[in-house]
Amino acid sequence: MLIINHLTKHYKGSSKGISDLSLHVRPGDIYAFIGHNGAGKTTTLKCIAGIHDYETGEIRIGGRNLRENPLACKQVTAYIPDNPDLYEYLTGIQYLNFIADIFKVSAEGRKERIKKYGDEFEITASLGDLISSYSHGMKQKLAIISAMLHEPKLLILDEPFVGLDPKAAVVLKGMMRKLCDSGGAIFFSTHVLEVAEKLCNKVAMVKDGRLIASGSMEEVVEQGRTLESIFMEVVNDVGTD
Amino acid sequence: MSAQISLEQIKIMTGLELCNLFGINVLRFSKDARAKKRAVMLSVLWAFLIIMMLFYMGGLSYGLVRLGAEDEVISCLIAVSSILIFIFGILKAGSHMFRIQGFDMISALPVTKGVIVISRFLRMYTENILLTGLVLIPGIAVYAWSVRPGATFYLNAFLGIWSVPLLPMTGAILAGALVSGISARMRHKSLAASALTLLLAFAVMFGSSRLTAMEGMESMEIIAELSGMVSAVLEDCYPPAVWLGTAIVKGEFSRCLMYTGMFLAVFAAAAAIVSACFQSICRNLHTTAAKHDYQVGELKADSALTSLCRKEFRRYVSSSIYVSNTLIGPIMGCIISGALLFTGPERIKEILPVPVDLAGIAPFLLAGTFCMMTTAATSVSMEGKNWWLVKSLPLPTKTILDAKILMNLILVLPFYLLSEVFLILALRPGIQEGFWLAVIPVVILLFACIYGITINLHFPVMDWENEVSVVKQSASAILGGMGGAVLAVLGGAGACVVPGGCSGGYEAVLCVLILGVAWLLYRKNNRMDLRGI
Repeated sequence: MLIINHLTKHYKGSSKGISDLSLHVRPGDIYAFIGHNGAGKTTTLKCIAGIHDYETGEIRIGGRNLRENPLACKQVTAYIPDNPDLYEYLTGIQYLNFIADIFKVSAEGRKERIKKYGDEFEITASLGDLISSYSHGMKQKLAIISAMLHEPKLLILDEPFVGLDPKAAVVLKGMMRKLCDSGGAIFFSTHVLEVAEKLCNKVAMVKDGRLIASGSMEEVVEQGRTLESIFMEVVNDVGTD
Repeated sequence: MSAQISLEQIKIMTGLELCNLFGINVLRFSKDARAKKRAVMLSVLWAFLIIMMLFYMGGLSYGLVRLGAEDEVISCLIAVSSILIFIFGILKAGSHMFRIQGFDMISALPVTKGVIVISRFLRMYTENILLTGLVLIPGIAVYAWSVRPGATFYLNAFLGIWSVPLLPMTGAILAGALVSGISARMRHKSLAASALTLLLAFAVMFGSSRLTAMEGMESMEIIAELSGMVSAVLEDCYPPAVWLGTAIVKGEFSRCLMYTGMFLAVFAAAAAIVSACFQSICRNLHTTAAKHDYQVGELKADSALTSLCRKEFRRYVSSSIYVSNTLIGPIMGCIISGALLFTGPERIKEILPVPVDLAGIAPFLLAGTFCMMTTAATSVSMEGKNWWLVKSLPLPTKTILDAKILMNLILVLPFYLLSEVFLILALRPGIQEGFWLAVIPVVILLFACIYGITINLHFPVMDWENEVSVVKQSASAILGGMGGAVLAVLGGAGACVVPGGCSGGYEAVLCVLILGVAWLLYRKNNRMDLRGI
């Protein structure tokens, strides 16, 4: 579903970025992407979402090259940033309608999904209000609903659980599992290692823009240990090299 | 005002307000080479505009001296700078004084609201001092060169520069507070604020137009009586300009000091009034009502372009500063066309100093007003922190930019139609003249929109804190927003100068040229990779 080959991206005038990163996210995968602040997680996710360009390497989504077919790749992808800056001058329903129009979701399809996800996140009653009146968590819920409207094959999430109440977090986890059961894939960054360990079947660790470990959760997390201890060990080992 | 206001706090808060004035702090510390390059280019542009302004004001002063009105030079320039400060002030006072960015954080600090108000006043004062200096210094130099006044003149002029902004700025802030206060109580706050701001700005503009109204006099009479007339008109429109100007010219230091004290007292009183209602206006202005009663009903599917256009329009009406800055031109176009109809072209021809083919230059005049400040020129920058969303959508650059151009064209359409009706009724043009009257404004406006997008794509400002920095101070607003207006002025001048300029051939060649350049820019824009912004 998502293949990243030797991806390199650096910001002008800054040492930050990612170097030679390669990953393979298959259909059905819930892939966690973990690393310290400034490690290059968000940069990677933004490159996949088509927000940032990159210098070298290749990103393939659903078999298509992102650089050659950006629109086709974006059509099957949904991205939710860590701080969803949505159009505050629109109401929730206007925003969802806008996204549905862009992704060509039918009138019946959008109505059904907005009702379903809106009720699950208990946000339906607020959809007629301006987004500027929403709390951070409500904006996050709205962004998740908008991401699910066109039934994406690949979901890219940047810290999706930040700001969500416990019930909404459970709903999101359910949605993620359902999407993967139906053949979709999820690649998401998180600092909550317990969630990653329980929810994901694969994990990748990044430090200073370089991939330092990746694979199935069983491969990476050895018997009797936790993802947190492995992460600390790997990060510190690489740091002292 | 609270007695707890400390000078130390004012100093700290004003320092915070001023540290990024004109983007200096970002320029100093940014590591983004591209952002630095843009900032340098913007500085060059500002330097060019400043030099133009200095020459213009110097020329105006020299003209007055040559006509024997040297004693009115300073008063006249005080009036000019006061009008500029007032008009620009009311257009941005509300969004500057009562801006929400950082408000919560600052409110939580152990500083009084008086300190916040004073620091914001001082920021505006600093900007206005610079404007006053630009207007007054050339006049002071020209006056000093021609009259050779004593040392007291320079002392008074120095004091004058510091005191001139106080009154118009106070007026602008109070007007801005009034507009914000009234609109804060309304449901559609931004639209109400835009309408009130535009109303005030037009009231001032038409009031100040009396400065040049010298109807019913022959030119020689005007020259002979100029000195007295300028003084009388200024006295009528803005007496403080004459009081202070006369005191400066006559070397009356005590009077200068007294006027400065008076202006300062008014300024302090206004700061106290704004301070008293500051928090309630801020809260009302930035609180969004939520009903929590929505039920999912029938939803309608639209094309991506329609949806984008609708979003652009909602973005536009959500910002009073955006509306008031960009709508002023089209409204002026309607007013000028209406004035031409109700005054009659013959009367206008009598007033004009040189014979002009009104039907020939009318389309350029109309285009000039419509393109005074296009929405397209700042539409990319106005996306601000939402830009990530646009970039992540499965849409080609062309569709995204088309929506921005369409939004601008649709916005001007009603003003265009009304102005065309007025002009056709007033000028009674023939078929050919009527054709160009209808086509030229559309061609120039279309060019202005595309050119505005081109400039904005090259000078984007996405990480802004206040819409003012995009709509009024960015390179896109200055370079892109006025491109069409400059073209209209050049086109109109060409129509007057080129032999047989208004016979159709000139217009046809001009339109083909403009459309050709617009097409090239349009293609270039649509090939742009938006991820680079």
